Amino acid sequence: MSFKFTEDNLLEIERLKKRYPAPQALCLPSLWMAQYQEGYISLEAIDAISQVTTIPAMEIYRVATFYTMFHLEKSDKIEVDVCKTLSCKLCGSDEILKHLESKSDIKINHVECLGSCGTAPVMQINDKNYENLTNTKVDAILKEL
Amino acid sequence: MSQLVKLIIDGQDYEAEQDSLLIQLLIDKEIKVPYFCYHESLGADGNCRMCMVGIEGQKRPQIACDTLIKEGMIVNTKTDTIKQVHTDILELELINHPVDCPTCDQAGECSLQDFYMEYGLHSSKITIEEKVKHNKAIDLGSNVMLDQERCVLCARCTRFTDKITGTHELGIVGRGDEAKVTTMPNRPLSNPYAMNVVDLCPVGALTSKDFRFSQRVWLLESADGVCHGCAKNCSIIIDHNKLKYKDDTIYRFRPRRNDAINGFFICDTGRLSYRELQENRQETPLLDGVKISEDKAIEKAKELILLYKRNTSIIIDANLYTQEIEAIVAFAQEIGADVYAPLDIYRDEAFGDDMLRSSMRAANAQTIINMDINTQKPKKVGLILNFNHPEKFESAATINFLTHTRAETALTLPIATFTESSGSLTNEDGITQFSKKVIHKNIPVPTLIESLKRVSQ
Amino acid sequence: MRECQIVSRKFHIENACTLRVAKEHGAYNSLVKLKEYDPQHITQIIKESMLRGKGGGGAPAGMKWELMPLDDKKPNFLVVNCDESEPGTFKDRQIISKDPHLLIEGIILTCYAIKAKAAYIYIRGEYKEYQEILQNAIDEAYSAGLLKECDITIHRGAGAYICGEKSALLESMEGKRGHPRLKPKQKEPEWFFGNATLVNNVETIATVPFIVKNGADAYRAYGTEKSPGTLLFAMSGHINRPGVYEAEFGTNMLEYINHYGGGIKNGKKLKALIPGGVSCGVLTAKECEGLTLDYEALRSAGSSLGTGGMIVMDEDTNMLEALKNILEFYHEESCGQCTPCREGSGWSDKIVGRILEGNGTKEDLDKLFELADIMNGKTICVFAPSISTVLVSFISKFRDEFEAVVS
Repeated sequence: MSFKFTEDNLLEIERLKKRYPAPQALCLPSLWMAQYQEGYISLEAIDAISQVTTIPAMEIYRVATFYTMFHLEKSDKIEVDVCKTLSCKLCGSDEILKHLESKSDIKINHVECLGSCGTAPVMQINDKNYENLTNTKVDAILKEL
Repeated sequence: MSQLVKLIIDGQDYEAEQDSLLIQLLIDKEIKVPYFCYHESLGADGNCRMCMVGIEGQKRPQIACDTLIKEGMIVNTKTDTIKQVHTDILELELINHPVDCPTCDQAGECSLQDFYMEYGLHSSKITIEEKVKHNKAIDLGSNVMLDQERCVLCARCTRFTDKITGTHELGIVGRGDEAKVTTMPNRPLSNPYAMNVVDLCPVGALTSKDFRFSQRVWLLESADGVCHGCAKNCSIIIDHNKLKYKDDTIYRFRPRRNDAINGFFICDTGRLSYRELQENRQETPLLDGVKISEDKAIEKAKELILLYKRNTSIIIDANLYTQEIEAIVAFAQEIGADVYAPLDIYRDEAFGDDMLRSSMRAANAQTIINMDINTQKPKKVGLILNFNHPEKFESAATINFLTHTRAETALTLPIATFTESSGSLTNEDGITQFSKKVIHKNIPVPTLIESLKRVSQ
Repeated sequence: MRECQIVSRKFHIENACTLRVAKEHGAYNSLVKLKEYDPQHITQIIKESMLRGKGGGGAPAGMKWELMPLDDKKPNFLVVNCDESEPGTFKDRQIISKDPHLLIEGIILTCYAIKAKAAYIYIRGEYKEYQEILQNAIDEAYSAGLLKECDITIHRGAGAYICGEKSALLESMEGKRGHPRLKPKQKEPEWFFGNATLVNNVETIATVPFIVKNGADAYRAYGTEKSPGTLLFAMSGHINRPGVYEAEFGTNMLEYINHYGGGIKNGKKLKALIPGGVSCGVLTAKECEGLTLDYEALRSAGSSLGTGGMIVMDEDTNMLEALKNILEFYHEESCGQCTPCREGSGWSDKIVGRILEGNGTKEDLDKLFELADIMNGKTICVFAPSISTVLVSFISKFRDEFEAVVS
């Protein structure tokens, strides 16, 4: 198995390189690209990012494990990030979580504050926020996916 | 060198370079402060927060590893407040650390254990049953074993592979109390200096697969020595002991700090060379592969020397001590023999690097060169006296003086290894070190000089 | 209550995120001043306005700007902190999604003042939706030729609260783990790959156009003497109309909550309030009475203003559960670099968890106080001291509730 950035991503990498004083700055951007490209961050992708950024592969591995939004393993299920932090909890995230736990084909991640405290409770699926959740609303959202 | 300034530590006057690190002064002056992450070779990292001291004029305790010395600074390391801070942080360090020192291989040379005893944390307030569970016996590669639960995340090991070897095999992954040291999947620790992380590790997280559980460290005696692995002559500590009914045995080599030569480290080849040193020793004289008495061997040697007078070449191993080489050269003059020390065999370009490994894999090659000894191969002669040189040369007869056994039929006399005798070595940079005899065997093998004396009488 | 619209003026205008609409409502008008003022002059105005950083710390912005060298020896950089991860805080996302051109305008002015040719907006990974709106606005600004003097690049984080700390943020941008750096020994700028760098919060930069255009006095006309100007205060939790509403410093807290938030949900009574993100000490309802929203008043009340994101808790709130929830957050988010934080965040979470399950003892409470003391002032950054604040304020102010469940 080998990893290669898509042509588009390679162009984006070249574009970004000109915008930073050092190639190491491309670490997070290229981790994101790799994750969108493959659905997760493979060790091969880490090697490719190491080439781009001149950062040793191990250093990238450390970085990838530091940030909760990067996944080092492939998941076939839909990832549902449910905010469990205080404002959401005060507004009923426990119930939403309980409701979600009854569903089978999704992977629930209990995540910390999503920055939508004013529209709590909230969850995020594929980078999109779903706010002011109720159980009925959750059902409708999942149905649409 | 920058300016010297005066400061006061615990009421005593000291002088130090302005803007130098306070922790280094404390270490140099043996003023005890606990610390895990600081190491002179790796610099300050500031993560363990153990080396807190009081600085007058500062509201809060400061870490000594991130404090630069200034003129007139007043430092306190022993006040109740500071002691309490040390105790508190130590206690946190122990939350997820097993306190089972008797079963830990690091016991006896563990900073955490030392501090724990010193701060009297015998009955800790820690009552969490669910410590964070981690892996206990991970083979990192290169003979290094990791116990993640014992790790205090000081990052010395990862900084070593980042800054010193530049090989980047180790890293801290995850975060918070789930953070742990590891390698990347299927990419083991693999560099010629890897085992130094075992010495760097202040606790029992990294242990040497070669040494772990072989001896309790308090049963070992430590002596200074010099590694014979190559022309670098790294300074080492030889840990050995002589238990009842057993022979004096070396259990490990460790680096001994020598800023002129090897700094804090040695290579793994040198570190592990103690094993070969003790295996397959030539302990008795041989003739045609059969053991003979020492007297008979000496007699036979004398005969041969007399027989081949003016038709003898002497071959010297470039690992011998300078005093030994000198004795051999003097002997050669006495019997009118030519002296050679062929060096080509020791050259190993693949071994050499720009750190501590020389491609000249003979400890005293520099002395051979300094003494103008012929480094070419000898011409065919009647008799060859080979003083432990690894090569075999053509001759009508041969007398071998050997530390280790070889498939040989010639007359062979056993000689002591470098740990069983004393003498000097000069390394490739011209630095000379003297080593004392460390190992005292139950049945000693004669040193080269002793054998030579008997042969020449 | 005086309506304030220094930053939020275009929030309610439809499509103000587009350049066309934004320009119709005065976007980029302040740029004319660039012809008039030299860089030092702009910094001077910001300094005189006494603008305080709006990311939570409240440090005077002008003083940070002044630290930037203007000798052109090396490039300078501006980094806009949009990592907004402090629970209870959701103000910056309003700016980047509703009026991104205001931020861009602020960036242009700031870059001019500090002689930076490039600016980066470090945005939290969870804000992808808003990032896209912001990127569209930046693209529009490029097309309109507004960004000839400075480049703006969005740099996306990936889920780490600590990256909101400015030095951790820069580490993150340099491709490393988000570990806060050791504090410098003297006043100096931040460093991005060894280049002097100014890090300011989104709202701080978004306030700059108003000040440059209208002058320092116009800004100081709002707020109190020591806390001049306005802030995008926010409310969440048990409140009828949660959201972000700009108000001047010195506004009465309860009046604000009632005026904009429509009071406590379901007609309940206020029990407790965390004034500016979970890291600020909790206040009892009684303590909130008469309290004004400014740095000084909140400090004297034993808490802090933080980001101004208030979390409101009604009379039925279980304070143990609330504390446990916050501690879980810290436990999850500690970067793990310093011992007291790495171990203390987990330990305190576990002890409170034990108490919550009914297995706690009185000694556990004392232990938590001790722990709070150990975590305070002994780490590289203020993450662990925040845990201390939270522990001490919750347990001391609601001790009855904690004592009722311990044996």
